Amino acid sequence: MTDLLIKLIPVFPLLAVIANGLFGRYLWSHDWAHRLAWGSVGLSFLCTIGVVADVLRTGTAHEVIAYQWIFGGDLTINLAYLVDPLTCVWLLVVTGVGFLIHVYSVGYMHGEDGFTRFFTYMNLFMVSMLLLVMGNNYAVLFIGWEGVGLCSYLLIGYYYDKVSAAKAASKAFVVNRIGDAGFLLAIFLVFINFKTLDYTKVFAQVGQLSPDMATAIALCLLVGAVGKSAQLPLHTWLPDAMEGPTPVSALIHAATMVTAGVYMVVRNHAIFDLSPVAMETVAIVGGCTALFAATIGLVQTDIKRVLAYSTVSQLGYMFLGCGIGAYTAAVFHVMTHAFFKALLFLSAGSVIHALSGEQDIRKMGGLSKKIPWTYRLFLIGTVAIAGIPPLAGFWSKDEIMGHAFVHHHYVFYGLAALGAFLTSFYMFRLTYLTFYGPSRMDHHTEEHVHESPMVMVGPLMALGLLSLVGGFLGFPPEHGWLHQFLAPVAGVGGEHEVGTGLVLTLMMIATGIALLGWGLAHYLYSMNPAAPDRWAAKAQGIYNTLLNKYYVDELYDVLVVEPTKKLGLALDWFDRVVIDGIVRAVGTMAELGAAGSTWAEKHVIYGGLNIIGYGNHLLAKQWRQLQSGMVHHYAAIIIAGLFLLAVVIQLIVQR
Amino acid sequence: MTSYGADLLVILPELIVVGAACLLLVLEPLTPPSRKELLAWLSLGALALCIGLTGGQISVLNLRVSAFSDLVVVDGYARFWKLLLYGVTGLTILMSLPYLKAERLQLGEYYGFILLALSGMMVMVSGADLLTIYLGTELMSLSLYVMAGLKRSSPRSLEASAKYFVLGAFSSGLLLYGISLLYGVAGGTKLGAVAAAIGSRGFDDPLLLIATILLAAGFGFKLAVVPFHMWTPDVYQGAPTSVTAFMAVASKAASFAAFLRVFVEGLGGLKADWSNLFLLLCLVTLILGNLVAIVQTNIKRMLAYSSIAHAGYALIGLVAAGRGMGESGGASGLASVMLYLALYAFMTLGAFAVIGMFRKGGLEGEDIEDFAGLAKRQPLAAFLMLVFMVSLAGIPPTAGFIGKFYVFMAAVEAGLAWLAVVALIFAAISAYYYMRVVMVMYMREPDPSAGEVPQLVASPALTVVLACAVAGVILFGLFPNPLVSLALQSVLPLK
Amino acid sequence: MEQLFFFYFAAVIAVASVLVVALRNPIYSALSLLIMFFHVAGLYVSLRAEFLAAVQVIVYAGAILVLYLFVVMLLNLKQDDRYHRQWPVAGVVGLTLAVEAVMLTLLKGRAIPPAPANTNETVEGLGNTEALGDALYSTYLFPFEVASLILLVAMIGAIILAKKDIGGSEA
Repeated sequence: MTDLLIKLIPVFPLLAVIANGLFGRYLWSHDWAHRLAWGSVGLSFLCTIGVVADVLRTGTAHEVIAYQWIFGGDLTINLAYLVDPLTCVWLLVVTGVGFLIHVYSVGYMHGEDGFTRFFTYMNLFMVSMLLLVMGNNYAVLFIGWEGVGLCSYLLIGYYYDKVSAAKAASKAFVVNRIGDAGFLLAIFLVFINFKTLDYTKVFAQVGQLSPDMATAIALCLLVGAVGKSAQLPLHTWLPDAMEGPTPVSALIHAATMVTAGVYMVVRNHAIFDLSPVAMETVAIVGGCTALFAATIGLVQTDIKRVLAYSTVSQLGYMFLGCGIGAYTAAVFHVMTHAFFKALLFLSAGSVIHALSGEQDIRKMGGLSKKIPWTYRLFLIGTVAIAGIPPLAGFWSKDEIMGHAFVHHHYVFYGLAALGAFLTSFYMFRLTYLTFYGPSRMDHHTEEHVHESPMVMVGPLMALGLLSLVGGFLGFPPEHGWLHQFLAPVAGVGGEHEVGTGLVLTLMMIATGIALLGWGLAHYLYSMNPAAPDRWAAKAQGIYNTLLNKYYVDELYDVLVVEPTKKLGLALDWFDRVVIDGIVRAVGTMAELGAAGSTWAEKHVIYGGLNIIGYGNHLLAKQWRQLQSGMVHHYAAIIIAGLFLLAVVIQLIVQR
Repeated sequence: MTSYGADLLVILPELIVVGAACLLLVLEPLTPPSRKELLAWLSLGALALCIGLTGGQISVLNLRVSAFSDLVVVDGYARFWKLLLYGVTGLTILMSLPYLKAERLQLGEYYGFILLALSGMMVMVSGADLLTIYLGTELMSLSLYVMAGLKRSSPRSLEASAKYFVLGAFSSGLLLYGISLLYGVAGGTKLGAVAAAIGSRGFDDPLLLIATILLAAGFGFKLAVVPFHMWTPDVYQGAPTSVTAFMAVASKAASFAAFLRVFVEGLGGLKADWSNLFLLLCLVTLILGNLVAIVQTNIKRMLAYSSIAHAGYALIGLVAAGRGMGESGGASGLASVMLYLALYAFMTLGAFAVIGMFRKGGLEGEDIEDFAGLAKRQPLAAFLMLVFMVSLAGIPPTAGFIGKFYVFMAAVEAGLAWLAVVALIFAAISAYYYMRVVMVMYMREPDPSAGEVPQLVASPALTVVLACAVAGVILFGLFPNPLVSLALQSVLPLK
Repeated sequence: MEQLFFFYFAAVIAVASVLVVALRNPIYSALSLLIMFFHVAGLYVSLRAEFLAAVQVIVYAGAILVLYLFVVMLLNLKQDDRYHRQWPVAGVVGLTLAVEAVMLTLLKGRAIPPAPANTNETVEGLGNTEALGDALYSTYLFPFEVASLILLVAMIGAIILAKKDIGGSEA
């Protein structure tokens, strides 16, 4: 029974994809398209609840083979699912939050072009994400991995007539491919070492791995995770990904897809545990990203970009948690983050919706009265992410920071604490600029401000509730319900018995930090609104650096993008011109040497003319057609290739 | 007086194809111009007969029958390729129906030449003798030279034909030279005799070395392997699109088949040496093919470079086979090449089918920019193209991924993990230029000043082709097992 | 003695082939081709393949070359300067290849290939022409037929590509 339910989970959205994708435009109206879409996700959610209930009751993991995909040689790959507590947490988040976002999208996307297309992509994303977290081997994980990448690409570029959207989409795709290459490499290494790709078999033999190999695999995995979870130095795509519709940002770029990297690290913690170097790297990447993204978030002016950088920063916390061995805490943070970040994005979407598409917070303000529900819910999200108890974000973030402190990672603790302060500050800055103070909207927009319909506010309320109480799943710290549930898969976090006093002190410090950030934001943006500009003017250099995101994009353009393009062009040119040119040059040179008789002179002149003509042909597009001699040159290249081959082979054979 | 009854039975499919071709050539002048399509249906009928004949033997897949004093052999390997070639030819003919009409090239001879080229390919895959293989290659090439120039109104097409002919003749010369040297070494042209004479001599004999290199160059030309690839972009771009598709798929598959047979059955004793040679070719091919494809603006030219790159991927399988260790060492490598080309056939045919019928006014829309905004105008066509591009880039769950997966796996098994990694990096790079097509289709508006917007002109025959291609790409991506086991069963034994 | 003839024929063939490509006047080129054909026939004779030698002279030197000459004269091709810069390239590449070949032969001991399977006795018993026919129509029947197909394709292909009006008008 449970096995059947497990198999059914990804099937519903898949059927919806097929139905909507193939026939949606022709056979039924938008109403049916969206009903199919959210209905299917809802059904998956119900199945998930059934499965999770069973896992809770029996405490065993389920492994189900759907069908055999690839076999031959040493390798068999099944489309098979593994549902253990770790997967359960992700399944609940993906289907639960996914369902709410689907419902919200019905209101948000109402009347947009390509309504059916949107829901087809969203459901396709659900299928991929479910495969990603449910697979029992690396191959299925990879398929899901690529699938979510593709959907993200399609959805970011949803408004494809916008140039920036198209650019952002390809950027996300390309950057993700870099991560994917690392991930694939890791899969190869795993296969070479274990001759299998199934998690259970791999982790059973993981002890045989040499430390160096474990480090290599773990670092390759990390490259993949860094790409997908937008960590330093591959973080650049995520803020740009905000070009997609807001529900997409909420679902993909906040709640689910970007946490895939964390999932992968936690899933492979057995390998990471073997390599202190890799763990250290994970923690460094996480800690640095957490702080780095938070500083950029301080000065951004686009409501969604602020949230995007906060996502990058929060993902940094999760990586930091993984890196210091606090896997449960990291998973816990993934969960609470999914709640409050989805809430924040969807509320932001509601704001944008109310303002007819305005995203610049400098043109907002004073909205608390006009859209009270959105305001209240956004505030809940802000308090939750800022880490003020007893909301969800506090418990999980505090647990990661506490773990860092208790295990003597004081540097990371410092990074995290500073990041937490900045987070609290820029989130309240966002709230103040958006909802308080005088209105800075233009008149036309102001007239049209309206609260969003129930279909949008409803899911917001559900998420708000989760953000309020979600943290208690992990209460009391280190021994909560979630910790016990995850204990079989993530290892037990608290080997150190820590005194209650220390825990309480750390909690109070964390709360203090968050309140301090709030206070500063209150001072700057509510009590003394002229101050921020003054400060910015004083520290012009820093301000501009932050505003331009440390110029990382520009750096990559100069270092990577342009050279690659040039290399391609150069090789093309090389292929067409240089090789050909060499052949010609040899000819011309030999000819000059043979000068002496009367007609040789003529040839030199002719040759010169020919070179001039050659230049012209280069300019003219059809130069190729006019070059009847080309064929001979091709033949000469073949011969030259032959010659080279002979030489090389001789060298190889003689060794 | 010897009776050839049994021998003729062995080559019955070849006889049918040649017979149909001759019949077509006779009927051509008798058919009114408006009825030329009947000739296409006739050739399809002949193909169906062949598919029935060869497909009927699938239960005795590996039964090895030879005929004409062992110059021709029909074994599992030959059957595998023949089935593939029938399928590809059939789809090409279907694709040509609307294409020829649109190009106003209502030539009955066209179908005759396709069948003659097919017969040449069949001889290639069945040849057990260097002479037979050479003649098959010539038969195929000569038909292709003519077909490339059939679009006589276009100077590009004529130029392609002329270029292809001159360079093809040149490469045949190399091939023949290699064969004659091998004959000198072995005292016979049968692959078995060559293998026996070589024993395990290695490259100690300089003649053998030169012969091997010349053979590699001769076949390398047909396979479009760097540095013997120069003709490919020009010819692919100039030839009529249906012919380009035929060349890119069928000719490449048949050449690979003959190539593998010569090097495995004939020169298997030298495998340690030729695997080094092909490793080198494979690397330069991957590098050049993938990088140059990035900057192309004409989609046929882009696909030409992509086809060069794909030859590089397939070569990885052969290198792995040469390096393979143990009992079944080479089998997985060779099977991966067979699989790769079979899967490659679907996506490439599909892509070319879309391009051929993608028309701007009366003309072909060949520039990648012409695809701008296709997703809005014709979502289904854009989606099909997306599937083919994704598959060519090797992204799961498409057939392209399966092909690459087995090739890379073979490399890893043969201890060439680094080669797999390099190839993987280039596969990642290749995604860039395939995805550019997708990006243009989905995320760009057509240039409003361009006037007429290109459209995919639908027709029943094209629908069948595209349906087959996309079904192949997706079904074999999801359920590759039947094809994999077929390839593994019919693989050549490599000692 | 046989060796001496071989070297004579081979040298002339090599020189004549180079001249075919190198000479500027197409008539001269054709004539050196003729010289080459005759010497190839000479090689056949020294290998005791008299029939082949005769065929070589009749078909190549007789028929094909005359055809070439007709074409050249009909088109009234004079010295053609367009390809004049090809021969140095060919020279350089050819020279390197030759050096390469010599190096190969010198560097390593040359293994002696086994004698071809068809030894002379069979030929003598049957007579040259008969032996050839026998081989062509029994053992090598299949390739022979394939070769005939090639000729068919070449013929029809040439006609199609040269035909004046094609499709077009009626479609």
